[in-house]
Amino acid sequence: MEQALILICGIIAIVTAVMVILSRNTVHSAMWMVGNCFIIAVLFLLLHFQFIAILQVIVYAGAIMMFIIYAIMLLNLRRSDDSADPLKNLFNGRYLLVGLLFIGIVILGVGFGPMALKGSMTDQAMMKLGEVELLANYIFADGLLPFELVSVLLTAAIVGAVYLAKKN
Amino acid sequence: MAEYQTIYLTLSAILFTIGCGGVITRKNAIVVFLCIEIMLGAVNLAFITFSQANQSPEGIFMVMCVMAVAAAEAAVGLAIFVLLYRKTGFINIDKFNLLKW
Repeated sequence: MEQALILICGIIAIVTAVMVILSRNTVHSAMWMVGNCFIIAVLFLLLHFQFIAILQVIVYAGAIMMFIIYAIMLLNLRRSDDSADPLKNLFNGRYLLVGLLFIGIVILGVGFGPMALKGSMTDQAMMKLGEVELLANYIFADGLLPFELVSVLLTAAIVGAVYLAKKN
Repeated sequence: MAEYQTIYLTLSAILFTIGCGGVITRKNAIVVFLCIEIMLGAVNLAFITFSQANQSPEGIFMVMCVMAVAAAEAAVGLAIFVLLYRKTGFINIDKFNLLKW
């Protein structure tokens, strides 16, 4: 049952990702990307990480895709300015490289097999404390420095974006 | 849960490859940007799978960092696209060679 659900979600994810590339209209590409974000969130739910699934919907499907759709509407890009058909480009010599990359990734990722390492997120702790509390315990103890660096990065990005988009 | 790890990792690899192919073939800068987002989503999926398999919060923390970096990238990248469109009137990335010397 669960395996069938995972396979269906995986097929939908692949279809939406392919449609992002094959759509001629840029707005359609963005809409397929929103669908892809939702399906990735469903896959996170199937892995029993509810918090990250909600975060995926809010941050990706909410914030980032809103950014991109705003940019498309701002730039008035109804039709993408590709000269050639994307389908014709598909059978290019460059795709051999991508295929080799795919085989390499599959060997690297799947070849390792199941891990034996066990951390603090056991099923008992998940039941007792919940996912968010375990994550917070990690962030504010071991991951404090990267967390603060990420906040500095976000501030710098906002300042940079405002400076770039400002008319002189 | 661990028995589905192979499916998740294969799916992640397939999505990453689709995004990579899109970056190579498409010319529209915003579609290239969307393909980069697909690749980031695939990497997030792999991170979550390994976090589940190892029962450790490091992978989830890394996914949160990736989301923050993606948001920062979207802000700066789209500002650059708006600027380029204002200057030139198109965002076909094959025609930009400002950084070529």
